This record gives sequence, C-alpha cells and structure tokens, in this order.
Amino acid sequence: MANKFVTVPAASLETEVQPVRGRVVKSRWAHNLLTFLMVFGPGLIVMVADNDAGAVSTYSQAGAQYGTHLLWVVLLLLPVTYFIQEMVVRLGIATGQGHAAMIYQRFGRWWGLFSLVDLELVNFLTLVTEFAAIDLALNKMGVDPRIGVPLVAAGLVLMAVTGSYRRWERTVVFLCLLDLAWFAIAFRSHPPLWQIARGSLIPGMPPGGLTPDLMFLVIAVVGTTVAPWQLFFQQSCIADKRLRFADLKWARLDTFLGACITITVAGCMMIAGNASRVHGFTFTDPAQMAVDIGTFTSGFFKHAILLMMINAAVLGTTAISLSSAWAYGEVRGWPHSLQLPVRKAPGFYVVYLLCVAVAAGLVLIPRAPLQLIILGVQVLAGVMLPSAIIFLQLLLNDKELLGGYANKPWNNWVNWIIITVLFILSLILAAQVAAPNLFPAA
Amino acid sequence: MATMTNPIELHEPVNRFVVIHPLDDVPEEKVDTRNLGPMAMTLSVRISLLSLRAYLVLMMVLVFYHVLDLAGLFGRHG
Repeated sequence: MANKFVTVPAASLETEVQPVRGRVVKSRWAHNLLTFLMVFGPGLIVMVADNDAGAVSTYSQAGAQYGTHLLWVVLLLLPVTYFIQEMVVRLGIATGQGHAAMIYQRFGRWWGLFSLVDLELVNFLTLVTEFAAIDLALNKMGVDPRIGVPLVAAGLVLMAVTGSYRRWERTVVFLCLLDLAWFAIAFRSHPPLWQIARGSLIPGMPPGGLTPDLMFLVIAVVGTTVAPWQLFFQQSCIADKRLRFADLKWARLDTFLGACITITVAGCMMIAGNASRVHGFTFTDPAQMAVDIGTFTSGFFKHAILLMMINAAVLGTTAISLSSAWAYGEVRGWPHSLQLPVRKAPGFYVVYLLCVAVAAGLVLIPRAPLQLIILGVQVLAGVMLPSAIIFLQLLLNDKELLGGYANKPWNNWVNWIIITVLFILSLILAAQVAAPNLFPAA
Repeated sequence: MATMTNPIELHEPVNRFVVIHPLDDVPEEKVDTRNLGPMAMTLSVRISLLSLRAYLVLMMVLVFYHVLDLAGLFGRHG
C-alpha cells in the first residue's frame, strides 16, 4: 500500500474550516481496511469497557461457583448486546448527536430530565464500584491505595483532557487490547476444553438446579453485559468522532468485533474462576481469586489478574465518566467534545473530573459502605435497563427522525423480545434484593 | 449531504482511493433534530411511559429503603 497524505479541496466548506486531509491507497482492499481502521474504536471501547470491575467480579464468581455451566448464558448475550448497540450506532450516525440530546429533543424536557438523573445516579454509583475494585487490587499488590487510587484518578483525567479525541481513543483502544491477556490467563489454568465446548454450546442447569443464588447470578451476568450507560456512551462517542453515513457498515463491524471480544473475554474470566474452584478455593472476590490462582500457577499470573482488574476498572471509569459528561453537556447545551481543549469546554471536563475525583475520594473514606453501594448499583442498573432500551426502541421507530435508518419489523420483534426478557429479569432481581424473604433460601 | 469516504479516482491510469478520517472530513449534513420538535406520541405510549416511570420511582425508593435498612439506619441490623 503506497500511503501518502493528500489534501483534497472541500468545495462545500466554509473558509475558516481546515481543508480535508486524506490518505491515498492503490487498492480497494487497502481502502476498505484503512477505512475500517479509521472508523474502528467506539464499538470496541463500549464493549470492552463493559467488562468493567463489576463484570470481572460477576463472571469470575459465576465460574468459581458453577464452573463452565453458565458459559452458554454469556454466549447467548452476544447477539443481545450487538442488536442493542447496533441500534445506537444507527441513531448516532443518522443524527450526529448523543442519546441524552435525542431523548430531550424528541420526548421533551420532562422525560429528558428523568433519563439524565437516572443515568447520572447509576453512573456515579458504578464509578464508586470501579474505584473500590482498584483499591482492592492495589491492596493485594502491596500498594498503598491512598497513593495508588489518586494516581489512577489523575491518569484517568490526563487521558481525557488532551484536547484530542484521537489521542484519547488510541490510549483506550490500547487498554482494550490489553484485556486480551485474559486469554493467556484462561489458557494457563489448563482449561477443560471439552467441558468448555459443552458448557458454551449446550444450555443446561448446573448441578443443584435453579436456586435463588443461581437466579441472582444469572441476572447479574445479564445486567453486567448490557448496561444503560453503554447506550449513551456509544452514541455520544460516534457523534464526537463525527462518523458518516458511509461509515455505518464499518461501525457495525466494529461493534460486532467488540461484542465478540467482550463475550470471549467474559468466558475467559469464568474459566479462571472455574480453575480456582477446581483447586478447592472458595470465591470471595476477584482479587482474592488472583491470589488463589497464583498459588498453583505463578506469581506472574496473580499480578496479571490484579492488573487486569485495574485495567477493567480504568476502562469502565473513563467510559462511564465520559457518558455522564457527554450527556450533561448535551442537555445543558454546553460544548462537549474531546476534540475541544479544556478552556473551550470547561463544563464538560468539570463533569468528567468530578465523576472521577468524587468516586475516587469516596473509596478512600475509611469504613465507607462500599458493599451496600455495589449492591445498590446492581439492582438499580438492572431495574433501569429495560426503561432505557424502551426509549431507544421508540427513537429507532421514529421515521421522521431516521427515515430509512429506522428499525425494520424484524428489528422490532427481536428488540421487544429482548426488552420483555430484560424486564422480567429486572423485576425478579429487584424483588429478590428488595424483599429477600419472598424467596426461599438455597 | 457531503461525504468524502467514497473512493475518488484521481484521473490517473492507476486506480487510487482516498481514505479520510471522519475527524478530518467535511462535516456531514445530518437530520435537523432541533426543528423536528417533540415526537408525536399516542395516548397508549404516553400511559405506558408514565407507568414505567412510576415503576422506576417506586423501585428506586424500595432499593434506597432496603440499602438504608441494611446499613442499620432503622436499627434492625448491626
């Protein structure tokens, strides 16, 4: 491929706009590959960031308690997560605006405000859980969290305030690719390949049957794989990156690849949990699981899992904080772009900074009720998800807004099935946590 | 709508394609959402959304109460 920069005069541009810069390639194949690489990013990031600290905990717990028996549930979530995010891709590309802005404009101020408050509340609580995981992992690595947590928070802020979307995206894509280390971790635990194939492809009930504990874990797995912030994040990210109509097929591919990676990595986390179970360890938290795995592999793998925990929390934090900052900026009408320097979008960056700083600060408060916050997050996210998807579904049927990009009847069938299942699961989860006495003990 | 992503032949004997990063491209014309105004919703959609909102508020209060209860604010837990 003979690449060189070329400047193509843009006829329709205003005089103050920079001339268009492009890259010349000689074959269609190279053109397609390069176009994909340029569009690539939002789909991968939203999916991999979804494997955040809470997800590491949930998947490894599922593996530690039920071995490879729940792998099929994760695999089943691959089309679910792709279908939902694909709608977000269409909406983002067609409107060039974020999800919060769309709800505000199409459903009015009242609904917009409710959606924003819901999002900001759950996002903030989730951020606290991300920093709680960082605190836990640093402790196990022998690093004082009072030093480590503020350093991670500072890194997260520096990552976003460079005034360049591309710089932020490249950093985050690099962190996403680090997540592939979970393959090595799973492989090193000498996974039972036949059991994995059977657990992934043949739906079945773990030994012991359907218990409230199993139900809770399955719902937690579903809730952690599809989260409300993802809708807001990916649409705003696409708007900020200014993806074009012609980029739609590449953005879909980006999202699909991201979904495949995140689901496979989730499976690897379950396999790691299964390895600790096979060696007779009882699951308490993923950091302790890392220590346990270190005893029968090597210290390297213990530190690798702890670092992956921190990486997952960092990815989750930057994506969730940005979804909050973008949504708030869209609703308030403030400038809200990673392309803008801090002085041109102060409100946007202040929201991002506050999200990171307050969540990190809360974790450092001695005896802060972190377990209660984690519990609250799981339930609230599960309860709110169907509601968030219903707004998405209504927007995707808005022909006035989307024209030819609106949902087809088969899209609607698939989505209503997903919404119904999620709604039932959220109802069970909420009832199980809010009124545990309703359910018999396992 | 202006887009520069489609292959552009540079009028040379060899095929050449220009690929432009979205951030370097001409801003594309999108749907003018501001002038569309609020979406027209039928009564059943309004009622469904209101019911959903009521359910969400109720669940949030329930979860908040449960968390405070677990924290021992009502004196039943240590």
